Amino acid sequence: MSAISIIPERCTGCQSCEMVCSLSHEGSCSSSLSRIRMKKWEEISVFMPTVCQNCEKPPCMDICPTGARKRPPGTDAVVTDEKRCVGCKSCIYACPYGAPALHPVTKRTMTCDLCQGQPLCTQVCSTGALSFVPEGDPSMERKRAFGQTLFHSMRTR
Amino acid sequence: MIKGWTGKRLLIDLSLQKAWSEDIPAGELRRWFGGRGLNASYFSQHFRAPVSPASPENPIAFAVGPLTGTLAPCSGATSIASFSPLSGSPVYSFTQMPGHFGASLKAAGFDQCVIQGKADRPVYLWIDNGEVKFEKADHLWGQETVETTVAVQEEKGDRGIEVLCIGPAGEKQIPFANVIHRLSWTGDRLGLGYLFGVKQLKAIAIRGKKPITLQDPKQFLNLCLALKDQIHKGQKMRKLNEDGALSLLGREDRRGARGAHPWLPTRSEKQWAVSLWANLSGWESCFSCPVHCGRNIQHEQKCLGGIHLEKAWYLGPQIGVHNGEWTLKLHRFCQAQGLDPFLTASLLGRILEGIETGTLAEEDRGHLEDIEDQGEKAFALLRRMIDRGKKEFHLSVPPASENEDLDILADVVSFCMIVVNRLNLMTVSNIIDLIHGATGDALTIQDLHETVSNIRQMESRLQNKKLHWNDQSTLLQLGKGQISQILKKEERRNVSITDRTAS
Repeated sequence: MSAISIIPERCTGCQSCEMVCSLSHEGSCSSSLSRIRMKKWEEISVFMPTVCQNCEKPPCMDICPTGARKRPPGTDAVVTDEKRCVGCKSCIYACPYGAPALHPVTKRTMTCDLCQGQPLCTQVCSTGALSFVPEGDPSMERKRAFGQTLFHSMRTR
Repeated sequence: MIKGWTGKRLLIDLSLQKAWSEDIPAGELRRWFGGRGLNASYFSQHFRAPVSPASPENPIAFAVGPLTGTLAPCSGATSIASFSPLSGSPVYSFTQMPGHFGASLKAAGFDQCVIQGKADRPVYLWIDNGEVKFEKADHLWGQETVETTVAVQEEKGDRGIEVLCIGPAGEKQIPFANVIHRLSWTGDRLGLGYLFGVKQLKAIAIRGKKPITLQDPKQFLNLCLALKDQIHKGQKMRKLNEDGALSLLGREDRRGARGAHPWLPTRSEKQWAVSLWANLSGWESCFSCPVHCGRNIQHEQKCLGGIHLEKAWYLGPQIGVHNGEWTLKLHRFCQAQGLDPFLTASLLGRILEGIETGTLAEEDRGHLEDIEDQGEKAFALLRRMIDRGKKEFHLSVPPASENEDLDILADVVSFCMIVVNRLNLMTVSNIIDLIHGATGDALTIQDLHETVSNIRQMESRLQNKKLHWNDQSTLLQLGKGQISQILKKEERRNVSITDRTAS
């Protein structure tokens, strides 16, 4: 089970991931063409990348009326079949993360396809907010980081 | 239209409440290839003599380079120019603002934005993907920068938009006020807050979603990935991560070069750093930048946006404040009021020196001599200055950098000066390669050298200065990067990146 692991505390809001995603998939730079989106709340300095989590039980697949959302055999990514998609946006509303986005030109939804196993966003992210976990437990780094924080706070108490 | 550019100039007249756009000739874009040159050429075309900073004719020009808003690392800077209120007679001034504003401006569809006129009541500009609206800002007038930013974003129902705003200091037309966006990035050393205040322009909010097309996306993508990798893995970055961003401080501010903590020669400075460090949490960065030089502050249970360690130094040991708490309080006050930390520090330093030596006039001194702590004294002084709206100051602008040509080049293509000049993380040949990938123009170092010299001449004409141009520019000797070898290595290792890129 491969996944993109997100640690929002490490995100600095540079939007490199958006740029590399749109550049590699669409050939031009724009946050509206990107599969990954950075959300920000600057007054509390919170930056958070949102990307398709490739759920085990994807609500977008259940709700899609034309069966365009599917997980092709051999991959972990849930993707939209452009020929079948009618742009009804149901998947956007059904997703608990709001991760699917509407392509501004083709008017079909688009989500992360994990770049065929080598996500570029995780390569450009220099703070470690995004990392690609090819197999195993994607939350392991998170657990470790939390454990370290806990250990640190207990030691300084 | 040249790829990498939008080819449009946005002109805004606040007196008429009208906005229109015009095409920038392709020749001009090719000639200046960046924000600083575009601004200088606009000013030299339209102004024979300087106009008063307070007059409606005085424009504020924002411009970006061909690489702004793309994946190119450290390309988040915006060039800003205007006639500045900081000197006795009006003089053409320019500055560079890092952050996200330029990228949003370009994504909204403009390379340059020129604001003229004077609104008769407070307004803020709403630029939504190329459409410009003038919105009433009476309810925002008097608000601090944090409230303004959040209020504008809530009003437009989109927390993703970028807001560039002034605080109460700008509204009171204090010359050393400035503008701030994302509560962290500022356009310093120009008096922008004063200019916004005079025009009764509270904020500029931008939503930019248009794509920026590139000449050779595959080549550009590979170049950017290689460059980011190079910057990220470089020794300087490791040092930056270990030492904290204080190693970014100007050469003139760093003392001592050896030892475990080369930047902390004295005990009091060490204490200052430790007390400051305790309040820092997390990092913040400019658009598409792998360096992450901004630090977030957690102070008194509140999060206060970013602080850049250079500013912290100026509001700290530079003016004799060795208590990190007071540095943070000063910084927070500057941030909320919209004050320029560099100019504020330079002014405070002068006045504090005046108090110590007894050269300051009796009525200006007040009861400040009684305060023991230097930080508390500085804070009380600053607060009194802002409350009274005092406007007569004489400020010294910090010294220019050692390699001015490289600074201009970075500014011209809207790159971060710190990365290009101070850290030398990017060579001239890297910049040439990036411009080639984005616009398709094959430049040489000689071309860049000529452009830099032309811009310098144009700016000195605007400033009525006599430029002694010698041809000893260091630009020609610089720029032997190994990016082509890195790229070849990358291609060998990871051919699939190129294959996957959509054409």
